[in-house]
Amino acid sequence: MAMLETNEPMLDGPIPGESLTAELGARPWQSPPQYANVDDVIDYYMSRMSQEDFMVQLVDVLEMGAPVSAIANSIQLSGVMQGLHTIDSGILVMPVIMEMIMMLGDAAGVKYESGIDNPNKNKTRTSLLAKVAMEYDKKLEEVDIKEAVEEKEEEPDVQYSSGLMARRK
Amino acid sequence: MSMYGSTRGYNPGVTMYKNMDIENMPKDKQPSSDGGLLSRKSMNTMNKNMNYSNPAIRVAKQMEVIRNFRNSMKNGDA
Repeated sequence: MAMLETNEPMLDGPIPGESLTAELGARPWQSPPQYANVDDVIDYYMSRMSQEDFMVQLVDVLEMGAPVSAIANSIQLSGVMQGLHTIDSGILVMPVIMEMIMMLGDAAGVKYESGIDNPNKNKTRTSLLAKVAMEYDKKLEEVDIKEAVEEKEEEPDVQYSSGLMARRK
Repeated sequence: MSMYGSTRGYNPGVTMYKNMDIENMPKDKQPSSDGGLLSRKSMNTMNKNMNYSNPAIRVAKQMEVIRNFRNSMKNGDA
């Protein structure tokens, strides 16, 4: 029975220079954009994002945990690839796209990840942990464990029973 | 997942979003509604200190509208 091999290296990526093999201007992003100014680009995205099928899919993606910033970036990049606008206009309108996505998420009652805040903000740095562990190791090396154990053994183990009627030695 | 939500590292949109200080942006003038129906109204409500030919300001104005609607939706006004 043939087994599905998942550890095979991915060799179907583009070879270096493959992007230069097409005729110059044949790609949509190599020709002048359909929407030249920011207002037109915003209008395009507003009308597109107001469509019901888009909203339904967007809510699904937000529920899957995809960050708003990553979704917005994908949306504007697909616009660049279709030749709708330049990448500069795309990056400029990204805050509006993000705001719109968050508004749709709020309207749908979805708990989404904005992707704006640093997710590692309140986490302990691994470098700090390593540093503390190294200092702890150094201190352990300085302490003579044998001496410490002997000192502990020499201490008399005296137990006094409490109470007025207790027998005294 | 790498920092700031993008699966491919640096996301310029996050920087753009953070730099859009729309809360502290100069507000447009509210159209005055005093007087009667026939009173003269100033049509130009734009703030003269703002350079509206700057694309970033145009984006910020659009963003402000959506943000206000979002806030009113959160407060239950919309």
